[in-house]
Amino acid sequence: MPALTTTTRALARTWTAHQLPAVRACTALSSHSRSISEVSASSSFDSPFKGMGSSEKTTRIPSFAKYRNSSGDESGPRVFQYFMVGTMGALSALGAKATVQDFLVNMSASADVLAQAKVEIDLAAIPEGKNVIIKWRGKPVFIRHRTAEEIKEAEDTKWEALRDPQPDSDRVKKPDWLIMLGVCTHLGCVPIGEAGDFGGWFCPCHGSHYDISGRIRKGPAPLNLEVPEYDFPEEGKVVIG
Amino acid sequence: MLARSCLRSTRLVGPVARNAASKTASRSASTSSSTAEEAASSWKTTALGSGATAFAIGSVAWYYHLYGQNVDAMTPAEEGLHPTAYPWEHTKWSKTFDHQALRRGFQVYREVCASCHSLKRIPYRSLVGNIMTVDEAKALAEENEYDTEPNNEGEIEKRPGKLSDYLPSPYKNDEAARAANNGALPPDLSLMVKARHGGCDYIFSLLTGYPEEPPAGAVVQEGLNFNPYFPGTGIAMARVLYDDLVEYEDGTPATTSQMAKDVTEFLHWSAEPEMDDRKKMGWKVMAIGGVLFALSVWVKRYKWTPLKTRKIIYTPPGGPAKNPSSPRPSVKMNERQ
Amino acid sequence: MAGLSSSLYNLFFRKNTVMLGTVFASAFAIQMAFDSGSEKIWDGINKGRQWKDIKHRYVQAAEEE
Repeated sequence: MPALTTTTRALARTWTAHQLPAVRACTALSSHSRSISEVSASSSFDSPFKGMGSSEKTTRIPSFAKYRNSSGDESGPRVFQYFMVGTMGALSALGAKATVQDFLVNMSASADVLAQAKVEIDLAAIPEGKNVIIKWRGKPVFIRHRTAEEIKEAEDTKWEALRDPQPDSDRVKKPDWLIMLGVCTHLGCVPIGEAGDFGGWFCPCHGSHYDISGRIRKGPAPLNLEVPEYDFPEEGKVVIG
Repeated sequence: MLARSCLRSTRLVGPVARNAASKTASRSASTSSSTAEEAASSWKTTALGSGATAFAIGSVAWYYHLYGQNVDAMTPAEEGLHPTAYPWEHTKWSKTFDHQALRRGFQVYREVCASCHSLKRIPYRSLVGNIMTVDEAKALAEENEYDTEPNNEGEIEKRPGKLSDYLPSPYKNDEAARAANNGALPPDLSLMVKARHGGCDYIFSLLTGYPEEPPAGAVVQEGLNFNPYFPGTGIAMARVLYDDLVEYEDGTPATTSQMAKDVTEFLHWSAEPEMDDRKKMGWKVMAIGGVLFALSVWVKRYKWTPLKTRKIIYTPPGGPAKNPSSPRPSVKMNERQ
Repeated sequence: MAGLSSSLYNLFFRKNTVMLGTVFASAFAIQMAFDSGSEKIWDGINKGRQWKDIKHRYVQAAEEE
């Protein structure tokens, strides 16, 4: 430790050598060996700027008269000044917005994910009264080409009394085609088609029965089978997603 | 505090400590003649500082000597002939790719290069809106078959390609590629322009640089071809581009150099498909940034004007009052003169 | 001139809230104008090179088939 203080003291001394004598005196005081009287004898204010050119040179202030607004009307320059400051604010806001937007866009799905988010299916290959299961975003999707009786049955059901009341018209875009996610709303099993007490789907895991519109009728599941976003861009084709 | 505790822990017991203590004692005795001591110790301080600086610079230099230098696999001579710098239009700062050339280049890739080289980082969807229309890209994708996800029985079936699929590779894997090409692996071309020293110039020079026959004295191994631009000059790929090898749909004469130029530009696109947008965004950022910089300089000057043009007058106490308007000792600021 | 500038001042800069609103509104206006302007310049520099310049050849060809 003494070695360290020696070094720091030496360093401090070389630093203060360039500084005011008063400060040097203070430093000396902190090294606890100087008497007070010695310090007070040597302390007097010396200007640090002494000797930097003649006093006339430092006190002579240039004239700024040519910068003065000669028109006597303040509003012109004032509007210009506010305009400049305001434009800078607007451009900064633009940059800030672009930065924030880039960060937010960064969080959205990337192009390769979006490219797989849509599935196009040819409906002409599905005969009436048949189920087709396709994979969409890693989940099974049921596509049912319903017969006329099935449509009638689905529409005639008293839906107001069901557990998750929903009319058939809310669940399909075209009555012929029932499209929904094949994931049981209870615990996520994949229900079996053309099974169960209601002629629709039956979940083998815990015995949930869905009807021909995919609505929960019996069993532990709380909700109807989910209907994904889909669209018929042209006749005989459906795009899910 | 940390330094002190470190010092304490590393300090040697015995003579060193005693020596240090005695040094302090002698110092405190001699503090009265501080100027003399300062003169004596100043060279030590200088030596200490200089030594520390020399040590720092020396250790950095030593470290750089050990680990900082590039280790090149080849000497410049072994890198092969340095390619000519061609005046590529699309590499100018304000130019996009020529998408007509990209379309031709993709045709060359598909008809010539694709028989050996893969382009597996390019999906069909990225061709849409750059090289092809949606319908063309879909039709092209459907020409190839891809694996489906496992069906109910766990079997993997084949399905026609979709826009989200990537361009097919000519070989199943690297081993198959080597086996079919005499042990040489045709590299994937997706990032080739970025991956090779010289970029576009190198690829163009390589494609067009095959001499009719190797120069006298050059040793070419069995199964290799001579190309001065290839590192080591022995390349497994033979010359592939000959005049009128492909028939361009837009009627451009398919000379060797035209095809090489088109396919090189296409490969540059496949390596940097974002280039068009990147350059455009760069210009926009520089424009906005430049205006913003000029404005901020102006605003800085505007805000500093009162500080730079003010006058400070100090009237010492009891002295002659230079400024009659301030009888009391005061510091007065005049903002305007 | 003086009348114009003082009325401008009174309209946009006198109240801080109004000035803030003006700044943000003009930020939107500047962005739209700048984007469309730079797009135009960029397309002018790269005339005939971009996909949108050559797209019509292939879209029409597909429709004719």
